[in-house]
Amino acid sequence: MKYMLRFIFSIALLCFSIIGNAQKKDTTKVVYPDRYGLRVGVDLHRLTKSFYDDNYKGLEVVADYRLTRRYYIAGEIGNEEKTVDDDRLNFTTKGTYFKVGFDYNSFENWLDMENMIYVGMRYGVSSFSQTRNSYKIYDPTNYYGETIITSGEKFSGLNASWIEVIGGVKAELFNNLYLGFSLRLNYLVSNKRPENFDNLYIPGFNRTYDGKFGAGLNYTISYFIPIYKKNKEVKK
Amino acid sequence: MKKIVFLTLSLLLAVSFWNCEKDDICAEGTPVTPRLIIEFYDAANPTVLKNVTNLGIIEPTFTEGIPFNGVSKIEVPLRTNSTTTTLNFIENGGDTTDTSDDNPDAITFNYATSNVYISRACGYKTIFQLDPTNPIVLSPDAANWIQNIVVSQPNIENENEVHVKIYF
Repeated sequence: MKYMLRFIFSIALLCFSIIGNAQKKDTTKVVYPDRYGLRVGVDLHRLTKSFYDDNYKGLEVVADYRLTRRYYIAGEIGNEEKTVDDDRLNFTTKGTYFKVGFDYNSFENWLDMENMIYVGMRYGVSSFSQTRNSYKIYDPTNYYGETIITSGEKFSGLNASWIEVIGGVKAELFNNLYLGFSLRLNYLVSNKRPENFDNLYIPGFNRTYDGKFGAGLNYTISYFIPIYKKNKEVKK
Repeated sequence: MKKIVFLTLSLLLAVSFWNCEKDDICAEGTPVTPRLIIEFYDAANPTVLKNVTNLGIIEPTFTEGIPFNGVSKIEVPLRTNSTTTTLNFIENGGDTTDTSDDNPDAITFNYATSNVYISRACGYKTIFQLDPTNPIVLSPDAANWIQNIVVSQPNIENENEVHVKIYF
């Protein structure tokens, strides 16, 4: 018990001395410059899903460029091929998408840390095709048994556009290497549907629902290429 | 600005839960594959509806039929994977116990089909267009109980209207 008290006391003392130190540092006004540059990365979620999910192949490259202290121009470009096997329908969606917008970093970084807790917006466009592999006829009487039609009909030249609202984090793991996670709420702006079918999945937008809303996420690893430095603005 | 960030993040979280709502179940009341609506009229008095008693409808090769009793309007399923359906309309055949008084009349329906997309949960439905030249064939036998068949709506797209009238 005696030792324990002594231990706690010494820890407390250590803490105080550190706080004292930090305050001292503040008064000497060490300036940490903000680094500006381009960050390029890849979405790990889509990449790994391509390996473990036989019905999915996809890749998304992400990039952002620091414009001001808090604002980043950001975008994603990707390609997806997904086969959905629903109860009554089986189809394959294949296409490319592009998203562009901005991120706003709300995180107040200490010292030379460069982490982000951000919100952002994107405008996304996607060009894709739908292949209707098979479908079932809904006949509630079911007197003659179920009719399954294997058509394999392909609908090309489809497109959609949408707006995304994003919330996410980015944290620096090592020098210039960042791990990020973002959640996205999507709202369809335009949607060119195939004749006698629907866009039940849109590359980049993901699954569509009855309304215009959708959701997405990505889990990125990216590398920061510093271009120039600028000192933090001093608040008075 | 911090408040906006917090609001956005909580909104995203809320929506992600709300989006888990199931839309994989075909809702009751969705217009799906329609059945053929048949109304029965009195052959002696063609404007007067007449109830069927103990009518049994069965595909000739099937063992289980669809019984109707005491109604003048019936609903009959058509084959969605074929353009012709033959059904035995059996007078007094609604009961499976007494087959001695059964009088089957075979009716063949000829039609074209088209499959129409409904939704993710329901898939597709089939709508039918009765053949313009030879829509319905009543196979003649020694004792046809059905006197006449008239097509009133050749496009079978829903169950709200009567498609065929049978006089007996």
